Amino acid sequence: MIRTVDESHEVALVKRLGGTALAVVLLVGVVFAVVRGRSDETSSTDLRTVRGVIGSEKLAFFADQRVRDAFARHGLAVEVDPAGSRQIATTVELDRYDFAFPSSAPAAERIQQTRKAARTYAPFSSPMVIATFDPIVKLLADQGVVRPGQVFDVAKYLELTAAGTRWDQLPNNTDFPARKNVLVTTTDPRDSNSAAMYLAITSFVANGGVVASPEAEAKVLPAVGKLFLEQGYTQSSTDGPFEDYLSAGMGKTPMVLAYEAQFVDRVVRGDSTIRPGMTLLYPAPTVLSKHTLVPLKPSGDQVGELLTTDAELGRLAATFGFRTADPRYFDEVVKEHGVSVPATVVDVVEPPSYETLERMLEAIAKQY
Amino acid sequence: MIRRALIGVAAVALLTGCSGDPPAGSPVGEARPGVLRVLAGSELTDMAPVLEEAAKATGVRVEFSYTGTLDGAESVANGTAEQGFDAVWFSSNRYLELLPEAAKRLGRPTKVMSSPVVLGLPASKVRELGWDAKRVGWAEIADAAGQKRFTYGMTDPSTSNSGFSALVGIASALTGSGSALDAAAITSVAPELKDFFSAQTLSAGSSGWLSEAYQRRARGEDPGARVDGLLNYESVLLSVNAANVLPEPLTLVYPNDGVVTADYPLTLLGSAGEDARGSYDRLTAHLRSPDAQRRISEVTGRRPASPEVQLDGRFAVRDLVELPFPGSGAAVDGLVTAYFDQLRRPSRTLYVLDTSGSMEGERIDGLRQAVIGLTGADTTLSGRFSKFHGREQVTLLPFNGAPESPREFTVTTDADLGRIKSAAEGLGARGGTAIYSSLRQGYDVLRAQSAADQDRFTSIVLMTDGENTSGDGFDDFAAFHDGLEPALRGVPVFPVLFGESAADEMGRVASMSGGKVFDARSRTLAEAFKEIRGYQ
Repeated sequence: MIRTVDESHEVALVKRLGGTALAVVLLVGVVFAVVRGRSDETSSTDLRTVRGVIGSEKLAFFADQRVRDAFARHGLAVEVDPAGSRQIATTVELDRYDFAFPSSAPAAERIQQTRKAARTYAPFSSPMVIATFDPIVKLLADQGVVRPGQVFDVAKYLELTAAGTRWDQLPNNTDFPARKNVLVTTTDPRDSNSAAMYLAITSFVANGGVVASPEAEAKVLPAVGKLFLEQGYTQSSTDGPFEDYLSAGMGKTPMVLAYEAQFVDRVVRGDSTIRPGMTLLYPAPTVLSKHTLVPLKPSGDQVGELLTTDAELGRLAATFGFRTADPRYFDEVVKEHGVSVPATVVDVVEPPSYETLERMLEAIAKQY
Repeated sequence: MIRRALIGVAAVALLTGCSGDPPAGSPVGEARPGVLRVLAGSELTDMAPVLEEAAKATGVRVEFSYTGTLDGAESVANGTAEQGFDAVWFSSNRYLELLPEAAKRLGRPTKVMSSPVVLGLPASKVRELGWDAKRVGWAEIADAAGQKRFTYGMTDPSTSNSGFSALVGIASALTGSGSALDAAAITSVAPELKDFFSAQTLSAGSSGWLSEAYQRRARGEDPGARVDGLLNYESVLLSVNAANVLPEPLTLVYPNDGVVTADYPLTLLGSAGEDARGSYDRLTAHLRSPDAQRRISEVTGRRPASPEVQLDGRFAVRDLVELPFPGSGAAVDGLVTAYFDQLRRPSRTLYVLDTSGSMEGERIDGLRQAVIGLTGADTTLSGRFSKFHGREQVTLLPFNGAPESPREFTVTTDADLGRIKSAAEGLGARGGTAIYSSLRQGYDVLRAQSAADQDRFTSIVLMTDGENTSGDGFDDFAAFHDGLEPALRGVPVFPVLFGESAADEMGRVASMSGGKVFDARSRTLAEAFKEIRGYQ
């Protein structure tokens, strides 16, 4: 990293000075001084570098200077590479890292098994939510899909989708008579963790309990596969549809599956991207995206420990919208910013095992 | 460092070289600090002023190499894009992401701006149709098109994203299932789609040329029949209005059941080096900043991508319903194939081909390959869609000192393509060069063909490698052309510059007929013939 900074400085300066031999000689001294000066400021040599591969939802958190400072106070410099949670569990070469930090419990469970990790840490979580707009809430309330208390009734929703209902077929719909199916926008089930979490929710409801057998998989696949396939093209990164929700609005994305943290983070930023009329619904039941750290080396354990116990890191995680192990931090943040979220999310179910989830995702991917 | 400097000089020379444009998609040099090498769609040219300001603010300079959507997708999929570029920037990543080999090479995307594909019609036409007082859906638009109450131009869906988006939009809206398209859904609405495409009277390989040809016809500068409207990006239609070059400004019709929107994701390639990643981060952070977003919208007429930035008054309809897009490459291919082979007005394509003695050797062989490439021999992504289409009427009219007899084909089965291939293989080189007498003969062929079957997209490709040596001269032809009946006078001629072509005369033939010159002097004839397919 520093090497490239060094080179580009050198190139820029040589260009400016015209490049006589003398200038170059003088310059080398200057460049060295600049580089040393910089490294003194930003990275003290006593910090121990710990490398992790993380679900991309947490990249902003780890990149935040306040978070870096908090780790530095414990002698750590945490360097992270973002990757999809499912990739972390399958294709990422984990030997290079001290810890893996996927965004879901099933992915972590799989890594823990294959790497024989003694324990895991779940310092924060975020429930899966549906971000939508007031006119949509009203339309869905008429259908019994939305109930008071920001509840999105998944069973009722599946009844609507089973019939292939379009928005313009809903009675008394003048607000959003779009000629497209009533469907929650998700990411591509072939790529993304949030889509896998959505499958966990919908398969639970379609099956009447956690899917845990091949028979149950076969039973639910037609109904839940449709929820993805009928969307047609879906984006591969979780940021994509949520950004569309914020910028293109109701016409493009009337309902988007998101992590609660994505929405809260935007409110906390106060960048006016969350506008009046934008609202959160909580699927009943929902699942928690449990950000679970799997230590791969002892120094990874230290990061897991700090994230779980350090009060400052806890507070900072809450400002990024995560629900923290100690609920006070999250409560303070949502109170301060006036975000309308339930203090506790009650109707939460467990996702199926990693293997079951993977098999169902594979089966859906084949139908594209 | 010295090596780097030299490469920089070489790259500049390449960009400013006087031997014509570099071939599409050609690399822009090795990776250098502070430079982001981007393989891009040609509509990004209008970002030049914004990118200059970005370079000042961030120290990151963008070097573009332009290519078509399908060729670009192919070079990402087969890995060649990774060899010479750090990022790709097309109007949409949807098609790329449907190709597994391309999708896995894409890194982070950053959406920079957006523009929906909508219909622009003169205000008086919109009033006449009664669409000024209410918003209409695609079904009503298709119905009016089927009754020929208006005509329009759109780009070739296989070479240009605006045409592709229009095709997906209307097919998706008309199926009415509201979910993504599949083959059965397309078949079920084929009659309505045929209605809609029966009113398409202008096609083009690029959005830019489509818009210019439309303007020329509207002002009566081109001999072709006036075209009422344009299906194009909102940004293109807004720019046409802003330039104040039409007799009557366009009213934008936003179908109330939905549109397909281009969202211009600047996308890092997975292979990009550390320097390029840093450059990408700095550049995208700048482009997404509120000030840059406002500037982009002002300069390009596209909508800002950052939710912090509000739309200005030019964007009359704000909340657009986005239609679903097919979820598999097979569905997309099926739709485009159906468009060419069943849905759109079939083409009548006349090739007037120089087989004089000067074509002997490599040249005649290149010409044979160019025609054979269009019979299915070109198996690249773009080649598959540029072959002669089902129902197309293809005529080869070889000439030397005089026109030979025309070889006429109508494509119904693969066997017909085989016959065209055999005819191309039989082309030989000898004798003189009677360009204009032969071209004249071509109009007689077209006259006879259209007497039997009038409703076709008709055009002429004129390929010659040198000066006219016998028969009519240019002035004779110009007088002849002037005296043609309007239907034939408006048939666009697409001259192909090759060898020692008389570039000036060819340019005049193109402009008197409302056509366009294609240059094959610095690339193969096959590449030029393939590009022309978008205009036929």
